[in-house]
Amino acid sequence: MNPIKSAVTGNEIKAGHLHPITQTIREIYSALYELGFEVALGPELEYEYYNFDALNIPKDHPARDMQDTFWVKGMSASDRGPQGQELGRRLLTTQTSAGQVRYMETHSTPLRTVVIGKVFRNEATDATHEAQFYQVEPLYVDKKVSLAHLKGVLEHLFKKLFGDKAEIRFRPSFFPFTEPSVEVDVKWQKPGESEPRWLEVVGAGLVHPSVLKAGGIDPDLWQGLAFAFGLDRIVMLKHGIDDIRLLYGGDLRFIHQF
Amino acid sequence: MNISHNWLQTYFKEKIPAPEKLAELFTFHSFEVEGMIEIKGENGKIADTVMDVKILPDMAHYCLSHEGVASEISFITGMKMNDRLAPEIKATIKDEPKVEIEDPKFCRRYMIRYVDIGSSRPSSSPDWLKCSLEAIGQRMISPLVDISNYVMYDIGQPMHAFDADKVKGSLKIRLAKDGERITLLDGRELILTAKDNVIADDEGPLVVTGAKGGRRAEISETTKKIIIESANFEPSAVRRTSTKYDIRSDSSKRFENEITQELASQGMANACDLVRSVFPDAKFGPIVDIYPTKPKQTVIEFDPSYIEERLGVEISLEDSKKILERMDIVVSSTGSASKPFWKLSIPYKRLDLVIKEDIVEEVGRIYGYDHVIGILPMKLKQAPDANPTFYLCEKIKNILTAEGFSEVILYTLVEKGMVETLKPLARDKAFARSDLTHGMASCLEKNALNADLLGLEAIKIFEIGHIFKKDSEEIHLAIGARQVKKVKGFKSEDLIKRALETLEKELSSDFSENGIFSKAKIQTNGIVEIDLSPAIKSFKPSKDVKDLDFRPASVNRYLRFSSYPFIVRDIAVFVPESIQAEEVWSSIEKGIKDASANGLLTRHSLFDTFKKEGKISYAFRMIFQSMEKTLTDSEVNGIMEKINGEVKVEGWEVR
Repeated sequence: MNPIKSAVTGNEIKAGHLHPITQTIREIYSALYELGFEVALGPELEYEYYNFDALNIPKDHPARDMQDTFWVKGMSASDRGPQGQELGRRLLTTQTSAGQVRYMETHSTPLRTVVIGKVFRNEATDATHEAQFYQVEPLYVDKKVSLAHLKGVLEHLFKKLFGDKAEIRFRPSFFPFTEPSVEVDVKWQKPGESEPRWLEVVGAGLVHPSVLKAGGIDPDLWQGLAFAFGLDRIVMLKHGIDDIRLLYGGDLRFIHQF
Repeated sequence: MNISHNWLQTYFKEKIPAPEKLAELFTFHSFEVEGMIEIKGENGKIADTVMDVKILPDMAHYCLSHEGVASEISFITGMKMNDRLAPEIKATIKDEPKVEIEDPKFCRRYMIRYVDIGSSRPSSSPDWLKCSLEAIGQRMISPLVDISNYVMYDIGQPMHAFDADKVKGSLKIRLAKDGERITLLDGRELILTAKDNVIADDEGPLVVTGAKGGRRAEISETTKKIIIESANFEPSAVRRTSTKYDIRSDSSKRFENEITQELASQGMANACDLVRSVFPDAKFGPIVDIYPTKPKQTVIEFDPSYIEERLGVEISLEDSKKILERMDIVVSSTGSASKPFWKLSIPYKRLDLVIKEDIVEEVGRIYGYDHVIGILPMKLKQAPDANPTFYLCEKIKNILTAEGFSEVILYTLVEKGMVETLKPLARDKAFARSDLTHGMASCLEKNALNADLLGLEAIKIFEIGHIFKKDSEEIHLAIGARQVKKVKGFKSEDLIKRALETLEKELSSDFSENGIFSKAKIQTNGIVEIDLSPAIKSFKPSKDVKDLDFRPASVNRYLRFSSYPFIVRDIAVFVPESIQAEEVWSSIEKGIKDASANGLLTRHSLFDTFKKEGKISYAFRMIFQSMEKTLTDSEVNGIMEKINGEVKVEGWEVR
């Protein structure tokens, strides 16, 4: 490609800047591609079925309280899925996990994928909360998958993102779509800090058999691991960004710094 | 949920770990501890420590109580818990309350009895009860209510007490009638519907079942006879009603998370035991226990090698068994040493343990996840196929950034659109966007104001994002350009036209469809918006993702920028031809330093040079801006005066 000349000065024009979210997605993507994970992109306007029911979150269950949902007005609720299941109401997807069962429905085992997408939560916004943010959700389904694989994949990824000294630890947790479920802390030394710190960044676990079944996979033969994390937080940590709203302001004073 | 360290200690003979240590054990084996507060006694010493623990839905079946949390200590450390069964209190009066259940699926157990509280009645609860409840932040109300609350926070069984003389006729657990009213304890009046469950007497509702009591049969100082209730209700019905009227309570929270029906008898026994200790003359009636269907005990049968396989750690069957037995799970082994098989009988309260994966988690968390050593999945023989959408979008991003366009990601929720959200965050964020153009237009506008600050002749941006129409969701690309520096015969659209041509040229080999980019219509506001769906559909997915050639990500630290307006000033200096631009600039810099304005110069550039009669003119553009305030013209004039002064000292001419 020829360098582009400015119409005014005739000087060569400098390359534009990729959004730091894109840059980090590419880093994550490259790290996971090495392990054979391919990207899956889901819709942002999702069905209740994929966002909740298929993920082992029954109606009227306290687990639905874990997220505030943007429901959408007046869209038809009579659509049906490939197994004839009712897909229910429409909503702005609250989690990339919604992409899991979609991927299982359309691909055959074994599976290695990473769902990347914008998700939405009906929460008041401030410097650390936005109603929209990005999530990244690797899913691996194979024979004899264990927590050791989960830890291995996490270590591989976070060493690429945060450097070779990054460490991973698990704490017990609960997600309806994984069993066992763990909270994942990553040990990382921020630039300018004298000591590394443990940061809570990822929710993870082995895929719940009900979710595998919803995706048409026999849990007696196959197991899976999955984890999810907010991309915005990783971008903010990496670049020392103190206000999440900068990411969506479209301000070149911000974007041109990266 | 608040948990008192002293209260936890009452379940053990041995000394339990100190609060700090306990918090660490909980964090790595049970649940998060979100805070700790020390409570000072009268002597100023620490009397108790209260932990705020975060109990997630699975453990909420048995852990929304001190006993549940204490059981976790026992699971983790192996310490034995005290036997705390309250003695049964025999009936000494004959009366029993009449009660009827309309729907046994909703009311899964109902235990009640009369208590004549007698003449010896303290006006307040004993100190130990007061200390316990106050430690976890509960208000003292009256001894009978305090006892009910204590039992709930102690073992997790919500309790209720009616003033028996205020109950007219018999009790009935039934659906409300449309329009029936109840005044709650807090004075709020609810108008109920036929979907709400109530406990009513012959005159109407007394309690919104599971959630909140009403005023009519409230306990008072003059109450002589009470009805103690210990019951179990179906979780989602309680949840629907409590959510609808916004009457969530500590009691509804426990029912909503589901507790075992078996717990009701323990609640009744403990409450009665406490009533007797506080009201020594109390006389008790027979217990009425309506228990339509006793739950079956959960049995999980599986090959226990599954535990090791899923955890990915070495743990002997013997060790796994020990952990499960601490949880009162009965493990019976029926297989052989080479082919083990287990049958686990699960305690009633452990509604979270249903499938073998649940058992894997129990063993894993108690044994400790720190034993897990990471391993990588097996390498694949073949690299995976490229996702067409991802591949295409990333390639477009590469091409456009090379063309000098920067990527923005804007808000999906906007003021107008075709898809509306039910409970918008704000009126101007009620819709999902139906195009990218609107966002892009205001983004161009805002950035154009900063062109000088950014040192740009043109604002060139793009976004790839989802848009929402009445019946479809599409992925669009929008490219926007605004030529800020005016040039004769040159329009913003020309910048976009060039970008579209490049896109078409670079991508044409990837698609069967032509003209997606080159034929796109540029709008007069300098924006083009393209639906990428046809491109994605006709994409030939033979591409290797490595072709995308991702550059290393930026490692830059974000530098805060000023939110105050900036001021632009130009200066042209005429100097002998032998003088370099750098020399002129250092003289200007000196002037800025003289004015103590170093921090205010955000950007400068040499934007023009020309020679005339053996002399050369250098024109510099300077941008001044403060991080703390709006700069005034006169402040910047002061800086310019100092610069002029410095330049004149050199004997040069400011034009």
